[in-house]
Amino acid sequence: MGKLGKKARKFAKKNLQSVLKRKRKIKSTFKKKASKKDQRDAAENEEENAELSARRNSENGDIEDMSLEAIFSEDESDEDEGDVDVDDSGSDGYLSEDSNCLPIAESEIHLGENGAAGKPSAQNQEILLELENKKKKLSRLKAKDPGFSKFLESHDKGLKSFRNENAATLDEDERSDDGMQSMDEDGPHLYLNKLLTSSAINSWCHLVKEQHNASAFISLLNAYRAACHYGAESTGILGSGSGAPILDCETFCKILMFVLREADDVFREMLGISSNCKRDTILGLKNNSKWKTVRPLIKSYLRSTLFMLNQATDSEILAFSLNRLRTSIVFFAAFPLLIRRLIKIGVHLWATGEETVSFHSFLILQDVASGFSSDCFDLCLIKMYKAFIGHCKFAEPALFKHLQFLRNSFVELCSQDLLRSSNKAKVSINNLSRILQLGLQTKKKEAVKKICSWQYANCIDLWVTYISHCIHDYDLQPLLYIIIQIINGMATLFPGPRYLPLRRKCIEWLNHLSSSSGIFIPVTSLVLDVLEYKVSKEVGKPGKDFNFSSAVKLPKHWLKSRNFREDCVFSAIELLSAHFAQWSYHISFPELATIPLIHLRKFQEKSDVESLRRVVKRFIDVVEQNIEFVKKKRDEVAFSPNDQQSVEAFLQLEKCSGNTPFTQYYRSVMEKAASRSLIMNENKR
Amino acid sequence: MGKKQKQKIILPPELPPEILEDEIEVSDEDLQFVSENRDYAGFVSRLDTHSITKHVTRVADVKEDDLEALYEKRLRKTSVLKENEDKGLQLDPVDALPVKTLDGKLYYRTRPKPENGGDENEVGEGEKDGGGNEGIIKLTKAERRAKLKKSKKEAKKEGKKLSKPEEAEQAPQVAVLAEVKEDLTAEELFESKKCKLAELGMALLADPESNIKSLKEMLQIARDDNPSISKLGFLSLLAVFKDIIPGYRIRLPTEKELEMKVSKEVKKMRFYESTLLSAYKAYLQKLIASEKQPVFHQVVVRCICNLLDAVPHFNCCEILLEVVVRNLGSQDVVVRKLCCATIKSLFTNEGKHGGVATVEAVRLIANHVKVKNCQLHPDFVEVFMSLSFDEDLQRREVPDDKSKVKNKKNNKRKSIEEPSQLQQNERKKNKKELMLKTREEVAAEYKAASLAPDVMEKRRMQTETISAVFETYFRILKHTMMFTAVSSEANASSIGGASGAHPLLAPCLKGLGKFSHLIDLDYIGDLMNYLKRLAGGGSSNDGPSQKNSNHLTVTERLRCCIVAFRVMRNNLDALNVDLQDFFVQLYNLILEYRPGRDQGEVLAEALKIMLCDDRQHDMQKAAAFVKRLATFSLSIGSAESMAALVTLKNLLQKNIKCRNLLENDAGGGSVSGSISIYQPYAMDPNLSGALASVLWEINLLSKHYHPSISTAASSIAGMNSAHNQVYHAILSPQQAFMDLLLERESFNSKSDTQKSSSRRKRGNGTSILANTELSSNMSGSIDENEVSKKLGDHFMLLRNIKENERLRDELDRATLSLHLYDEYKQQKKTGSTKTKKCKKLLIA
Repeated sequence: MGKLGKKARKFAKKNLQSVLKRKRKIKSTFKKKASKKDQRDAAENEEENAELSARRNSENGDIEDMSLEAIFSEDESDEDEGDVDVDDSGSDGYLSEDSNCLPIAESEIHLGENGAAGKPSAQNQEILLELENKKKKLSRLKAKDPGFSKFLESHDKGLKSFRNENAATLDEDERSDDGMQSMDEDGPHLYLNKLLTSSAINSWCHLVKEQHNASAFISLLNAYRAACHYGAESTGILGSGSGAPILDCETFCKILMFVLREADDVFREMLGISSNCKRDTILGLKNNSKWKTVRPLIKSYLRSTLFMLNQATDSEILAFSLNRLRTSIVFFAAFPLLIRRLIKIGVHLWATGEETVSFHSFLILQDVASGFSSDCFDLCLIKMYKAFIGHCKFAEPALFKHLQFLRNSFVELCSQDLLRSSNKAKVSINNLSRILQLGLQTKKKEAVKKICSWQYANCIDLWVTYISHCIHDYDLQPLLYIIIQIINGMATLFPGPRYLPLRRKCIEWLNHLSSSSGIFIPVTSLVLDVLEYKVSKEVGKPGKDFNFSSAVKLPKHWLKSRNFREDCVFSAIELLSAHFAQWSYHISFPELATIPLIHLRKFQEKSDVESLRRVVKRFIDVVEQNIEFVKKKRDEVAFSPNDQQSVEAFLQLEKCSGNTPFTQYYRSVMEKAASRSLIMNENKR
Repeated sequence: MGKKQKQKIILPPELPPEILEDEIEVSDEDLQFVSENRDYAGFVSRLDTHSITKHVTRVADVKEDDLEALYEKRLRKTSVLKENEDKGLQLDPVDALPVKTLDGKLYYRTRPKPENGGDENEVGEGEKDGGGNEGIIKLTKAERRAKLKKSKKEAKKEGKKLSKPEEAEQAPQVAVLAEVKEDLTAEELFESKKCKLAELGMALLADPESNIKSLKEMLQIARDDNPSISKLGFLSLLAVFKDIIPGYRIRLPTEKELEMKVSKEVKKMRFYESTLLSAYKAYLQKLIASEKQPVFHQVVVRCICNLLDAVPHFNCCEILLEVVVRNLGSQDVVVRKLCCATIKSLFTNEGKHGGVATVEAVRLIANHVKVKNCQLHPDFVEVFMSLSFDEDLQRREVPDDKSKVKNKKNNKRKSIEEPSQLQQNERKKNKKELMLKTREEVAAEYKAASLAPDVMEKRRMQTETISAVFETYFRILKHTMMFTAVSSEANASSIGGASGAHPLLAPCLKGLGKFSHLIDLDYIGDLMNYLKRLAGGGSSNDGPSQKNSNHLTVTERLRCCIVAFRVMRNNLDALNVDLQDFFVQLYNLILEYRPGRDQGEVLAEALKIMLCDDRQHDMQKAAAFVKRLATFSLSIGSAESMAALVTLKNLLQKNIKCRNLLENDAGGGSVSGSISIYQPYAMDPNLSGALASVLWEINLLSKHYHPSISTAASSIAGMNSAHNQVYHAILSPQQAFMDLLLERESFNSKSDTQKSSSRRKRGNGTSILANTELSSNMSGSIDENEVSKKLGDHFMLLRNIKENERLRDELDRATLSLHLYDEYKQQKKTGSTKTKKCKKLLIA
């Protein structure tokens, strides 16, 4: 195994560079192609966004092969390249950084059966058993035939000499590295050949804590590094022995916990900076002599921690280390490459992790985005958006909450720099609109399918949230207009009853946007469509429960069920009351409600389901009540419609008190809706 | 030339008798010509390269041709080898297979096919040559192909004589084919027939008069059993007929005429015409017979359509028309489109057939509609839209024509005749005034001088057309009404898409709208009644059964209103029909309108025609519409909303009093009519009391998300009753509707880049996450003990994995050692044998 590792390493050293180079070359040719395309598209693409690389524009402008993921997709290659760079330099720096540990790796300590660890697993025991059997057999053979043992020895020798050769070359490498790293040398060497025992760690901890002993800290960091890489590299670069020095669980925990807990304080202590310094102070330190000594330590610490974040899977560990890493996030300012890596890991954990992990990684991303350069902000935004797109393809109820969190946190991040984020939003929304346009114009199956998907819906949802969250702080009117048109287009593109959930979503978005921005978006006709869906007459068995929130399109058989009818009516009432609730104090509420009322009355007359009729009747009554209320108030005023200011002021007092029947009714409707969906979810479970 | 003779001898044994026959015939008919050919046999064979112009001075030409002749002779000599092969080929009908193999060298299968096809060709050609005594000497195949065209020209020169021999040849030829059939594969046969077809066709095209006989041959081929050959036959015949059919209708001579003595020319002509006609008829018969077969359907329809398009004036055009009209409603989209296009072109290019076909087609369509009880494809009636009527003609005909129609159709109305005629005369005068007088005079004179009788005829036909068209339209209307009345009682809800129930209604209404000016005044009253009832959603006279409105879509009902207004507008002076009902309909239809389901364009058109274009409205009504449109635009998509607002603005501009709606006078002020309170749910605009209301909608609309709508609303709010603003043209509702359609949306941000914001660049503190309970319990400290425990677990896991790896490694090594033992043993064995051998050797 070890041989293999070394070989691999050597091979990588010799050949991989060229491979990488070649890869990069290929990529650049890709880019060239893309830029060619770009030239073609440049004419159509007038809104040159300063923020956007031309390549991305080309991707967006190309209406033919458009997909949601396509957006920022050029960044992906960028990112990959970036990763290559990071890894590249990482592996370069890695050696030099690591040299301290290498002697440990080489000191061959056999963790035999006498290993301090607890019981080996069942599988291991099995293997052990077999091994013993075979060994016995072998020894028997050896005893029987001495010639064989000789033969075996000679064979082994060949193997060993080969291995030694490798080791020798490796050693040479290390030695030269050691030479370079001489400043750290003395500390580690004291302990390196020893096993990292719990007592040693304890004493180091003590030294570091009490006396701020730099050398102890260095060795501790090396131990930390080893711990972080423990297990991960057994098949990798360093060979089987690398994790060896850490013998038992206690030590392992101790190292990690101590370093994670204290490292930040120690660094600050060493550098003499306060706990709430800014990025600039770190950058300012660069010429400081202290910085020069501490820098490798910080780097080692950050790198190891990042590595562990990649390795670990347990949410508690991740959350804790993320939390700790966050306190020392300011140090990342000095290591731009590490920032990229941090963002990558952070986004990954944010998108895939569980609640806490996701939350903590978001906090880190937020800090990165706000604390560092604007490029970092952009990078975070793009990566997060892409991760979001990648994760919103399906919407099971279980995922729903997570998606909501992702959406909200993304919007939260966006709201930190509205100028930049609005630019990004513009690009993305334009992309969405082009997809829709294609669908509207061609009505081709693929194009339409793309629109009627969770991915598309979630993207819209994301930007709707963003716009409605930020509209008061920034001029997002153009975006607002486009997204309203997109939503309208979506609603009209899918008129059938099977698309009820989608239609519902669209209207909800419109209501949401309208209420947050204060503009008027008519939804009545869209809602009335829902009410008048033509369903086959036989309305018999109640169909299976079907969760509205987890589908854009209903299954066909479901249309026949009674639930569908109910859902239609309830949705219509809910959506309409949300729409009315917003304007229930507006002076033209009576007119707004006129046409819907006419239709609802007609429906009420025609409908033969008593329960539904009751619901509709109730709604009509409340609306009429409100109409009367507004009318009465309206008759008292003296101003005319062209007096916009007075109109604005109309009934504002009552609105603030919020005690009209309609408001109360609206609340009750919403509560009912919530409970309904709750029941639905429970039934599902 | 001897060579030619040789070839004749080499030709298959079946041929010589024909040749004999030919020679006899030819020599009989044109001995001189033949002998001339004989003399110059070698040269004449090259005559084919001449242009026709040189035809006259043939003898002189020959000398000029010498050079070329020599050249070709040389060429022929070089290709002697190939010729031999060809000769071998020619023999193959007799003993087919062995020769074929000989010829086909390597390409046993592929080569014979064309060769044989060519062979057949050649036989024909050879015979033809023989008949004409042209003395064409066999050329290599490629050359022959290239010469095909030339041979056609030659044939033309040969004149009529050739046709007869060829016909005579035909029978034996077929016999030969039958005989050889076994030897030829089906493909070869196909190929040969194809070539034959092409040849005959070319010949016909080149010189129809002389080759007219070969039409029959082609017909024969078209009757072939093989569908693909028949198809080819149809198509090539189509091409031929399209080309050779004369520009007049052929009238066969009567018996008396036949008895009369006529010149040779006339005889020839008669013969030609009768042959052509009989062939054409046979062709049509065949076509119609095979039209029913699905295999041929498309091809046949294509042929017929093409024929009708190209030669609508010719005999038997009625048959063609019948088929085309029948296929107007075909299930097959291709066929349907083809037929529609044909009929339309028939209607638009009346000059080709003088309008006869138009009348016939319209009549046929009318019949179909009648027979099929209006259950036809919309295209059936849609084609009427491309009809065009000569207005001058129409107007002129009116006085006398009308009485005719009336006598025919409704005798009861005679009493009204006089006054209406008077009115008609008045109208005539009015129109005359409008016309340019000079032009009028010139036209009248011209007609009087040249086309007087023709005009009468045209007039008659046009009248017939018009009456048939309107008969159809009225039938459809009536049917629709009856249908709705019946079905409303039977089953109210079964009809899903109402447009499916009345497929013809939409084109019918469109047509009525277009030709409304041609409608006889007497019908207009009835028409309006129909329309009124249809707009009301069927049978409104059966009492207020609201259900009926389900049967016609909103679009259709709107169309009815539009048509009614069109009709009225076009006959404005003559009639005084109350259009009030249509306004009531529109008033209520606006509520029914649903984007997506109904066509917004129609709504916009209705708004334009009924509200924008109309004269001064009744104030009460205008106010009602203003109010309704405003209310409507609150609950509808932006495009419709914009159309409504544009109309609203228009109404307000025209009706100054209505601007009172923009003012909040207590109690509606002085202008409010008899109804002092606005009733939004009233069905009748006149009873809504809209004047008492205030246009508060404008306020909400000015908050509309669409910038154009909000600006429009603001501008409406700014209108003032005090002084009359200048009437400036605003865009029509249709235009407004189209502009704001989603499909047209460019999705570019409307307002340009942000006016560098005074707003905060950073978001405010309110975090969207704040309300999620996550943040509260998570930002708190994490239980470190828990973490360390987890870390321990993590460590154990990693350790186990490592252990596992290590153990596996060792295990592998152990097993390897065991394997090595086997190896070792073997080695030892060989070693020992070797040593033994060595020892043995040593011993030896």
